[in-house]
Amino acid sequence: MNIRRLTASRRRFVQGAGALAFAGFAPAVVRAQAQPITLGILTPLTGAGGADGPRMEKAMKQVFAEVNAAGGVLGRKIDTVVDDTQTNPEAAVRAARKLIDVNKVPAILGTWASAVTTAVAPLCWEAKVFLCTTSGADSITLLPHQGYLIRTQPNNHLQAARHAEFIASTGAKRVFVMSIQAPFSQPTQDRVKEVLPKFGSQMVGGLIYDKDKTTYRSEVDQALKTNPDMIYLNGYSPDVAVVVRDLYRAGYGGARFTQSYVMTQKVVDSLPQEVTEGIYIVQPSADVNSPAYALAKKRLGLDAPDSYECAATDWASLVCLAMTKAKEATGTGMRDNVRKISQGGGEKVYSAVDGLKLLAQGKEINYEGASGPCDFNEIGDILDCKFRYSKIAKGKIEFLKVF
Amino acid sequence: MPPILTEIAQLVVNGVMAGTILAVPAIGLTTIYAVLRFPNFALASHATIGAFSGYIANVKLGLPVLPSVLFAFLGAGLVGVATDEAVLKRFRPAGFITTAIASIALTIALENVVRFGFGNDLRGYDLPIMRDWRFGSIRVGPQQVQNLGIAIATMAALFLFLAFTRTGKAMRAVADNPVLAGIKGINADTVGRLVSFVGMGLAGLGGMLIGLDTTIDPLTGFRAILSVFAAAVVGGLGSIPGAVVGALTVGVGEELCLLFLSPDYRSAVGFVAILLVLTLRPRGILGQRAY
Repeated sequence: MNIRRLTASRRRFVQGAGALAFAGFAPAVVRAQAQPITLGILTPLTGAGGADGPRMEKAMKQVFAEVNAAGGVLGRKIDTVVDDTQTNPEAAVRAARKLIDVNKVPAILGTWASAVTTAVAPLCWEAKVFLCTTSGADSITLLPHQGYLIRTQPNNHLQAARHAEFIASTGAKRVFVMSIQAPFSQPTQDRVKEVLPKFGSQMVGGLIYDKDKTTYRSEVDQALKTNPDMIYLNGYSPDVAVVVRDLYRAGYGGARFTQSYVMTQKVVDSLPQEVTEGIYIVQPSADVNSPAYALAKKRLGLDAPDSYECAATDWASLVCLAMTKAKEATGTGMRDNVRKISQGGGEKVYSAVDGLKLLAQGKEINYEGASGPCDFNEIGDILDCKFRYSKIAKGKIEFLKVF
Repeated sequence: MPPILTEIAQLVVNGVMAGTILAVPAIGLTTIYAVLRFPNFALASHATIGAFSGYIANVKLGLPVLPSVLFAFLGAGLVGVATDEAVLKRFRPAGFITTAIASIALTIALENVVRFGFGNDLRGYDLPIMRDWRFGSIRVGPQQVQNLGIAIATMAALFLFLAFTRTGKAMRAVADNPVLAGIKGINADTVGRLVSFVGMGLAGLGGMLIGLDTTIDPLTGFRAILSVFAAAVVGGLGSIPGAVVGALTVGVGEELCLLFLSPDYRSAVGFVAILLVLTLRPRGILGQRAY
């Protein structure tokens, strides 16, 4: 009896050992069936971007939660490791190194400041890690990133073109651009000059002024000599606040146009009403009329998610769809497939979960995001996005339209 | 008038306006230098403090501009005496460079105190804005003319004070020869306090004059300090009439350069002027005699 029992248990032992050995030699994909895909979230949780980073993180996690509830990606759950850039390139590089070397993430989502993205991007492309960012500097997509980078923020080139289009649509025929001395000034002026004639308007002149001056009377004289009917104020709040006063004093009665970060409600409050009356204000906008935006509102429980929350929603959705299309959870897979699910003639989808369903049926899809259409050119810039226009009336910023 | 002459005339007018406002804090800087013998860079934050004192008087207390200007002078002057007494005085025995560096540290600290109290937002005085007057093809702003008036009246008062009052003469005596003034029984400490009060008061008044024409924020004084410093050095650091001449030179020079240069080179002009003047006349246009 004893001998038989022993034999039986020995047999079981051998069977067990064999199974273990089989598991050990099985392909990785079988072994990892239940293991989650870990993605890196690298946003500014502190520093200048500290207001936007945590909201972006939340927006991404909500998308992943929705995807996980619907069965995950490639049969695996999505997991995230969050780190803080501190809105500081040096801290961001350390965090990115950890995400890449220790957590072995195939994608990093969420860098915000241009200086941070510029520092983190080389680590990503060297390690074949896919990077999604909201940084706006033109130089970022010009880095030799080999396709491992996309951004949902309009770059300067796109913004200036759309500004020019709007300016022409107000009926302005003679446009003058007054820019502060900054890296974006000359490229903006060049682009506005190029685009205005396409819409029946023209740039009659431009100047770049020095910051920190107590008066810009002579600059205003130079601008008014060209007899403009629209002045594009391409500076920052402290100098534009002086320029608009000087324009008023000089008796300028034409239109003025500037960006939302220049003319905030607080700046408007600090200026006399007659000085700010009628100034047009622009800012990049989420695509507030799209079904994806409606879904993001519901998912986040917010009345009006902003452009950063929408961008974060789109990155999370895009990487899930690209990995599924690639049939592998790698940075290279995302790089090679992100454009196959975000643009082209496939069926339009407005959420990651809907897209995953169609991909499972073998259909082609075209993801349309909350931040915009999410169509990318070869260097990772978006081809188009919406802008929000407002106008100041009696000291209040009033919404005009999104287009 | 041919267009080029009109343009030059307009630039000179603009330059005189800018220069006169620059002259007020420049006199403050040079007065402090004349007596205490160090460039007090804390002038920047005191200009800001003056601008905010005037803002409190004008917007919070609802006073008209002229009494508010007095508030700006008093506010900055009193803070000037307090900070000199508490901070800079202790550094003076350590020498010129140490005290100048301490004044830079002080100005950053004070600027952040203002930021703590008022935040970073731009603020404007409660003033109606007026269109410019036009004389032929030259235009002049009513607010700037008022500022010009305040600046000239302040300078005149300072000159009368220095020329005819006992205290003013004592200040000049200490500036000329502190040892001799001490032998004559003039208390250098009292004169030092008075100089800090008047110098920083002028800085505060200048800060408010800048703010009247623009908007104010914690960096108001810091933005102007380089031009103020240039004006004082060009005129001859330590010379009060020199500060006025220097400020007008820098103001008009910065404007006239627009005839040849793009406006983004404007700030460079003040500093090229420093290099030129110090190369040709190392003690500045009017030398270093205080008065």
